[in-house]
Amino acid sequence: MKRITILVLAIVFTITSCKKDEPLDTQLTVNFTQTINSSTIAQDNLNYTNAANQSYSVKQLAYIISDITLHDEDGGNTLLKEMHFIDIDKPATLSFTVSKLADANYTSISFTFGLDTSKNISNLYVNEDFHSTMAWPDMMGGGYHYMILEGNFNNDTTFYNTHIGGTMGMDFSFNNSNTIFLSTNTETSNVSLTLNMEVNNWYSSPNEITLTTDGIMGNSNVQMLLKQNGADVFSTTID
Amino acid sequence: MRKILLFLISITLVFSCKKEEGCTDPSALNYNCEAEKDDGSCTYPEPFITTPQSIATPYGFPDMLHPEDNPLTEEGIALGDYLFNSPILSHGEGLACTSCHLQENAFSSPGNFSSNVNGVATPRNAMALINLGWVNQLAWDGRSTGLEAKVLGSITNPFSVNGSTDSLQVRAEKDAQFMALFSAAFNNKSVTIENAAKGLSQYIRTLVSVNSKFDKYLLGEVQLSPSELGGYAIFNSEKGDCFHCHGTQQFADNLFHNNGLDPEPFTNLGLGAITGNAADYGKYRATTLRNIEHTAPYMHDGRFATLEEVVEHYNSGGTYSSTIDPKMKKVGIGLQLTNQEKQDLIAFLKTLTDTDFIGSN
Repeated sequence: MKRITILVLAIVFTITSCKKDEPLDTQLTVNFTQTINSSTIAQDNLNYTNAANQSYSVKQLAYIISDITLHDEDGGNTLLKEMHFIDIDKPATLSFTVSKLADANYTSISFTFGLDTSKNISNLYVNEDFHSTMAWPDMMGGGYHYMILEGNFNNDTTFYNTHIGGTMGMDFSFNNSNTIFLSTNTETSNVSLTLNMEVNNWYSSPNEITLTTDGIMGNSNVQMLLKQNGADVFSTTID
Repeated sequence: MRKILLFLISITLVFSCKKEEGCTDPSALNYNCEAEKDDGSCTYPEPFITTPQSIATPYGFPDMLHPEDNPLTEEGIALGDYLFNSPILSHGEGLACTSCHLQENAFSSPGNFSSNVNGVATPRNAMALINLGWVNQLAWDGRSTGLEAKVLGSITNPFSVNGSTDSLQVRAEKDAQFMALFSAAFNNKSVTIENAAKGLSQYIRTLVSVNSKFDKYLLGEVQLSPSELGGYAIFNSEKGDCFHCHGTQQFADNLFHNNGLDPEPFTNLGLGAITGNAADYGKYRATTLRNIEHTAPYMHDGRFATLEEVVEHYNSGGTYSSTIDPKMKKVGIGLQLTNQEKQDLIAFLKTLTDTDFIGSN
């Protein structure tokens, strides 16, 4: 009897020890952060300084990122999300998740700041919460603001409105690609990466932009300067 | 004798073994809880049927907001229409919705404030009821989420019409028309203030205004005058900068802004009184400009009697406070509109009048 018991236990142990672990689904979280001089923005404080040596604050910051795509070493592309709206006053907009990311060695991430011409169409996102906030008047080209960045400058009673978008139907969106190293396999469960916006860079290199109380939505020259400055606004880190 | 006794025992056993027959379906009107065998006699209540209704989504509008527990029906709308025009909901039956929400004023009130059931002035200007089926956060200060909650809040508010289920039930017994409409709209035969609010909400969702001169202009049916077109351009430029809060085909973002009406400290906190957040002090909902010509006086307290006064307020740049919207970027400077530009802007605003909606056709 004792021998039989030992035999049964040995068989059970052998079977369970041979059972392979189930492969894990990789869940990717994409976070959106915003900094000034590499520090998280403290809203309403008039304690930031731009390249033109103006003090300024951030009261509102909302923007659209589109065609967020991972690229792997085998040349494969994985579209994470077609369009994502971010508002620093709405925590739910500061990240999104992809539940089942395919296993691969991802080497870069690309995305578009704003909406390119194929998507920047009036009423295209009429059922999105941001529709009324970000709509860009048809008389100025239609579509949506790519970004609304607002606050004080120089003193509490003077306001700037950095509103970026497709002035008169022109496409001022731009692509951004950042090198990453993100390897996922059957043993990877949760990974995350962060797309950060360094706000001060909108106003510095290569073009120094001075804040004024005048709107810029109808000013294609300023829109172009901001587009050029946008090249180093975004950075990506794997968390 | 033994044979007789045996016969009686047999009969008793036969009858005692027979199962009781009847309706065994608990959902039937004649359900017999003692029946063990169904005899096919079940009868059921007449099915409650309402007639679904829908409202076409106007161009440039999102899908209308409908709570799952209050779908739009012909019967619900009819009940709401009756309630809107009847004083049955109000304490003492002194007020109807139409007492403060007049159609010729685009369902707003021509007075700064309205009198409640006790004759006391309400603290806010009665809002125009235009396209509210697309608004989620209602009232000047955003106190209500969802139309049903807003309507229920208004009809039960002691400082408004002060209605209640108890008083409604007392009056309902004497009002055959109300009872007929109510029974047709709601399967639940109990008359409640909550169901009344649902009916009213359905009716208010039908108050859709999208047939103004400007809408016809967009459809190519009419032309705008040079002055109206000039105003349209100012409206959509950052010089006038009306569109940021009153843009899209709704002519409203229905969000909350401090548009520079008052200095601090605020005597009326607006959204801040609801959220308790100091950053929300002095903020009020940016409402639609559709039919704005007929919704005077303007702002949450009706402080501006005319559109000219409103335009002059924005042209002045407004009054600074710590929560003023950054889009009021010309505070202390002013928009510096010319007299012609101001007239043009008002001419454009008047193209947003929908004569069908205000019943002047």
